[in-house]
Amino acid sequence: MKLLSVIGKYLVLMSAVFTKPVRARIFIKRVFEEVEQIGMDSIWIVSIVSVFMGAVLTLQVAINFTSPVIPQYLIGLSARDTFILEFSSTIICLILAGKVGSNIASEIGTMRITEQIDALEIMGVNSANYLILPKITAALISFPILNLLSIILGILGGYLIAIATDVVSIYDYIYGLNYMFVPFYVTYSLIKICVFSIIITSVSSFHGYYTFWGALEVGKSSTKAVVYSIILVLLFNLILTQLLLT
Amino acid sequence: MIEVKNVNKSFDNQHVLKDINASFEPGKINMIIGRSGSGKTVLLKSIIGLKIPETGEIFFNGREFIRANIKFKREIRKELGMVFQGGALFTSLTVEDNIMFPLNLFTNLTKKEKLSRVNFCLERVNIQNANKQFPSEISGGMQKRVAIARAIALNPKYLFCDEPNSGLDPQTAILIDQLIHNITVEYNMTTIVNTHDMNSVMEIADSIIFIYEGHKWWQGGREDIFNSDNKELNDFVFASELCKKIKKTNP
Ligand SMILES: Nc1ncnc2c1ncn2[C@@H]1O[C@H](COP(=O)(O)OP(=O)(O)OP(=O)(O)O)[C@@H](O)[C@H]1O
Ligand SMILES: [Mg+2]
Repeated sequence: MKLLSVIGKYLVLMSAVFTKPVRARIFIKRVFEEVEQIGMDSIWIVSIVSVFMGAVLTLQVAINFTSPVIPQYLIGLSARDTFILEFSSTIICLILAGKVGSNIASEIGTMRITEQIDALEIMGVNSANYLILPKITAALISFPILNLLSIILGILGGYLIAIATDVVSIYDYIYGLNYMFVPFYVTYSLIKICVFSIIITSVSSFHGYYTFWGALEVGKSSTKAVVYSIILVLLFNLILTQLLLT
Repeated sequence: MIEVKNVNKSFDNQHVLKDINASFEPGKINMIIGRSGSGKTVLLKSIIGLKIPETGEIFFNGREFIRANIKFKREIRKELGMVFQGGALFTSLTVEDNIMFPLNLFTNLTKKEKLSRVNFCLERVNIQNANKQFPSEISGGMQKRVAIARAIALNPKYLFCDEPNSGLDPQTAILIDQLIHNITVEYNMTTIVNTHDMNSVMEIADSIIFIYEGHKWWQGGREDIFNSDNKELNDFVFASELCKKIKKTNP
C-alpha cells in the first residue's frame, strides 16, 4: 500500500517534470550547468576506476587461464566483454548513484528546507520542471559518454598490464579484443546506461524534492536516494538483460 | 484586496488553521500576529497556495485561487511577491541574478533594461556594491533586503512577508519595516506581514489579525490593540516588561 502511494507520488512528480520548459534559452543554460556537475565532475572517478579494474580483471583472468588448452586471446576477449556488457554500464552506474545521486538529493533537499522551492513556485515557476528536467537531460547526455570512456579505459587498463607484465602477450590481447566482436553489445550497454541515468537522476531528485523538516532530513533523503537508485539499477539491469540478450 | 473565507488546514491529525475568515485591503499593511507555532506561516502559505487547505476559499480581487487550475495559479502568482521567513534566496546565484531571475522568466526586457531594473530594486532597499556577491557572503539583514528587492522586481500587486525582521537588530528591523510600509503605499500593494514583533506592529500596522492556536482570535487597528480586554491578546501584547510599563503609564 505504502509502496503504491510512493510510486503514485513519483509519477505525479514526473508528470510535472516532463513538461515544456517556459524559456528554451534558460533550459539550455541549465542543462550545460548540470552537464558540468553531473558529467564532467564524474570523469575522474570513472576513469580511475575503469583503468584499475581493467588492469586487475586482466591480471586475474590471465592467472586463472594457465592451462595450455585455453587460448591466450580469450583474456583480451573477456576483458572487452566484461566492460561492455556489465562493468561500464551497471557497475559505473552504482558508483555514479553514490556520487551523483547523493549530490542531487542533498542539493534539492536543501532547496526544499530553505524554502527556495517555495520561492520558485511562488514566482509561477514549475519548480519540478525547472530543477529536475535539466538534471535528467544532462545525465542522458553525459552518462553514455562516460560509458564509452569507461569501456575504452578499461580495455586500456588491461593493455597496460599486458605491457607491464608478461601474463599475456600484447599480440594475443589485441587479437582477443577483435575476436568475435558483437557490435550489438555496445548498443545494449548504451541502452542500459540511458535507462540507469534516468533512474538515478529522477529517483534522487524525488527524494530531495520531498525532504521536510531540518538538515537531518536532508542527510536521510540523500541516503535513501542512493539506496533506492542502486536497487532500481540492479532490478532494471536484470529486466533489460532478459529483454535484450535472451 | 484579498479575501479569506472559512479556511481550515490540518497536518496528519493536527488541526492548524481553524475556520479563518479575513480580508486584506490594498495600500495598507495588514499584519498577522501570534505566538510561535500559532499557524501564521501556514496561513500565509495557504493564501498563496503553497499549502492547500481542506476547506475554504481565497479571492484575489474576486478571483478564486485555491481551486483554480495550475495555469491560472501561475498567472496570479506573477502578480505576487513573497519574502520568506529565511529569505529563500537562491544560494547558487549572485545577488544580481537572484533579482534578475523573475525578470528573465517573465519579461522580454533587454539585458540592459533588466540590469537597470535590478539596480533600481537594490537601490530601493538601500543596497549598493553587492551585485556580484553570493547570498552566503552577505549579512542576514542584507539577505532580507535582497529578498524584498527580489519580491518587488516584477511590481507585484500583492506582497507577503513572513517575519521580515526576525533576527535583526532593532535599528535594521525598523528600516525594513519602513521600507515595506513605503513601497506598499507607493505602489498601492495589498501587503500582508507575519510577525511576532510588537515594535513592527506599533510602527507600521494598519490592520491587525491575532491568531491564537489556529483561531482568528481578535482583529482591529493599531490603537485598539492596547485597549482590548481580550485576555490572550493582552498576554501576547504585554508579554514584555516594556509594554507592561507603557500600559501602566498610559492607562
Ligand atoms: N508541513 C507540515 N507538516 C506538519 N505540521 C506542520 C507543517 N507545517 C507546519 N506545521 C505545524 O503547524 C503549526 C503552525 O506552524 P507555523 O509554521 O504556521 O507557525 P508560525 O506561527 O509561523 O510560527 P513561527 O513564529 O515560529 O514561525 C506548528 O505546530 C507546526 O508544527
Ligand atoms: Mg512562521
